[in-house]
Amino acid sequence: MTYVIAQPCVDVKDKACVDECPVDCIYEGKRMLYIHPDECVDCGACEPVCPTEAIFYEDDVPEEQTRYTAINAEFFSELGAPGGAARSDFAGQDHPDITALPEGLNA
Amino acid sequence: MNTDSTSTVALGLPTLRGTDGVPTLAEHELLTGKDFTSDQEVRWCPGCGDYAVLKAVQGFLPELNIRRENVVFISGIGCSSRFPYYLDTYGMHSIHGRAPSIATGLATAREDLHVFVVTGDGDALSIGGNHLIHALRRNVNMTILLFNNRIYGLTKGQYSPTSETGKVTKTSPMGSLDHPFNPVSLALGAEATFVARTIDSDRKHLTSVLTAAAAHRGTSLVEIYQNCPIFNDGAFDAIKSPDTKADAIIPLVHGEPITFGPRNPDTGLGDKALIRTTTGAIEVVPVADIATEAILIHDAHNPDPSTAFAISRLTDAGYLHQSPIGIFRQVERPTYDDEARAQVRTAQGDNPTDAKARLQALINGNDTWTV
Repeated sequence: MTYVIAQPCVDVKDKACVDECPVDCIYEGKRMLYIHPDECVDCGACEPVCPTEAIFYEDDVPEEQTRYTAINAEFFSELGAPGGAARSDFAGQDHPDITALPEGLNA
Repeated sequence: MNTDSTSTVALGLPTLRGTDGVPTLAEHELLTGKDFTSDQEVRWCPGCGDYAVLKAVQGFLPELNIRRENVVFISGIGCSSRFPYYLDTYGMHSIHGRAPSIATGLATAREDLHVFVVTGDGDALSIGGNHLIHALRRNVNMTILLFNNRIYGLTKGQYSPTSETGKVTKTSPMGSLDHPFNPVSLALGAEATFVARTIDSDRKHLTSVLTAAAAHRGTSLVEIYQNCPIFNDGAFDAIKSPDTKADAIIPLVHGEPITFGPRNPDTGLGDKALIRTTTGAIEVVPVADIATEAILIHDAHNPDPSTAFAISRLTDAGYLHQSPIGIFRQVERPTYDDEARAQVRTAQGDNPTDAKARLQALINGNDTWTV
């Protein structure tokens, strides 16, 4: 199980969750943040601090956003397990589904 | 055998290693972290370091290559002691401070079990202080995970045996007067055969230390620095923050020179090193001021615990700005449970009469007197 970042994060990237995560498993992409499903320890610290309520426990992702569980996981399919966001820089990249989203989605 | 009350007998050197006696998985069997995850909802506070330890333990248990039904987690009382609920192994949420004692009985009676103890700084060092040191000196086959958050979390924030002097809590409004225990120093003083320290959020290090601890025959004590985000948040920030951790963590690797601080890319050494002074003490000095040969090489296998103890004293007793991390000591000594089983076998083997007759003979023994 893991926590998942969903659509309300796109083009917002508040990053309050990044400071809160005790294991540094929330990575910044170009348009949204992604949680590494293997590095996440399910502690739930990120979920209440998100101002846009974009973070859900895997079982609780709203039905229309369930695709985001795979989007978070697939973002790391080529990046592997970097072992900490502080020493990684993926800010120029996104999952192709996110790149394809229209501008101003959460404006 | 001479059973005179003042005599001693040679018990021989250990012949069993690691997890000998615990059945391994069949060749085609393969377990994953999911197999060790129970159906219970995990209930710690959001952000608790215990989640990270749980995940690491669930990840490393399959690597032991033993069956779930041969694994037992025994805990005492406290937040950390909820651990057995979340693992799909045998477990027991036992009595405050007494987990090492229960584990001693279990490890002695059941050679086929791999026994873990999960405890916290309050449970292990205050309520169960005696039980811990006696398990360590006896060297019973068990792996002790001591979660140190330097506070009583379950009871909502009172100073614990590892809280720093002067700490203001609900039970110490003017600051705690108690000098804290250093769990690693304590374990080395009790002559534990495996003593290590790691950090909840460093999964790689945590996993490697736990793997070595589990493979050790005898009592392994692993102190895990664990952040309590509610009642003692930030206690380990200096050793976790990417900006300060290079200067705060003194990494111990067997056979390697002990240095820390920013690494020199050419030599691989940090800018500070440990050296032994002329008085035999350990001191931190800038690497630039000394010859490379003078740097202390870490020897975890040294039978004499005094150097490991001296290194353990480099841990800050107050707010944690500096701490050695890694395996301090890893030596071999006969284990209590192996020896106890051998004695039972010997006693039974020497005497061909049945158990009832043996008991009667003991009662009829000549060591009696009239009052």
